[in-house]
Amino acid sequence: MKRWAVIGVVVLLVAWGWLRAFAWFDPLAFCRIHIDVELLEGDRSGIRHAIDVVRREDPIAYRALCRWVDRIQEERQCDAGDPQADRRVRGGAGIPLGVLDPAIRQAREAPGCYVRGSRIIVLRRAPDGAGGPPLVRERAEALKRLAGYSRAFWVEGVR
Amino acid sequence: MVALAVLAIVVVLGVRYFVWVDVGGRCVIGIRPSLVGYDNSTVKRALETLRHGSPGDYRKVCTHVGSINPNPSCGGFGGGCFWHGQNARGRASIDVSTEHGLIWTVAILVHETCHAIQFHEGRPAGFDHEDECYNEDHRIMRALVQFE
Repeated sequence: MKRWAVIGVVVLLVAWGWLRAFAWFDPLAFCRIHIDVELLEGDRSGIRHAIDVVRREDPIAYRALCRWVDRIQEERQCDAGDPQADRRVRGGAGIPLGVLDPAIRQAREAPGCYVRGSRIIVLRRAPDGAGGPPLVRERAEALKRLAGYSRAFWVEGVR
Repeated sequence: MVALAVLAIVVVLGVRYFVWVDVGGRCVIGIRPSLVGYDNSTVKRALETLRHGSPGDYRKVCTHVGSINPNPSCGGFGGGCFWHGQNARGRASIDVSTEHGLIWTVAILVHETCHAIQFHEGRPAGFDHEDECYNEDHRIMRALVQFE
């Protein structure tokens, strides 16, 4: 009997660790959001802190995040267009992005974006030197807003 | 009994990793084994995103593409390729590298599908194939990526 209890505890601990290792896991809120980061440069704990801020500050946004987002990916930037659509770029001319399409530059500077048709939020990787509470705050605000976009897509059919 | 279980596991894993099956949309696309990480999942995520985010583009992929190679190819890491040839006469095979994440994977998928459509429509030699397809991937990125 005692042996089975020990095995049960070990299995529970392994399952708990597995569910938490690559994700935000909040069983009381039935919430698990996978977090994808670069193997070497990524910062999963920074994203966890940002989600925790959302959880503490804004329960409605947190509920939307848990319900309508199943994955957060940290990437170099958000790309809202292909600069190579302009022949001059393909030709090798060094044209500032803002001249081509302001949306491309704005997306790259944004802290994150939502990809319509998915339940995935992309967060921009922290720029060099950035970090600490300001970055957590910026990401928390982005998560609230982007979870709202996902909700709007799936519930209200905003396409 | 053991053989049956092994067979079931092989079938489940095969469907899980190497085939995109959308029964409702009558769409089946093979995905080649990937040498780099979990790229097959990225391809599946891209197809799923397209299915909901832009059904018209998804239908084009299903009609013109039969298999996807997620490994880096002539487009290198983060690029894609469409190979002209007899093999592409039916539903084509396209190369879609997934190195730059979901958004670019969706864009490359649409770009290479555009080349498959050009090929199937028999666009004449000398036609500017790239202009049209870069505009297509630019369009899908603008349509799907929402930021503020």
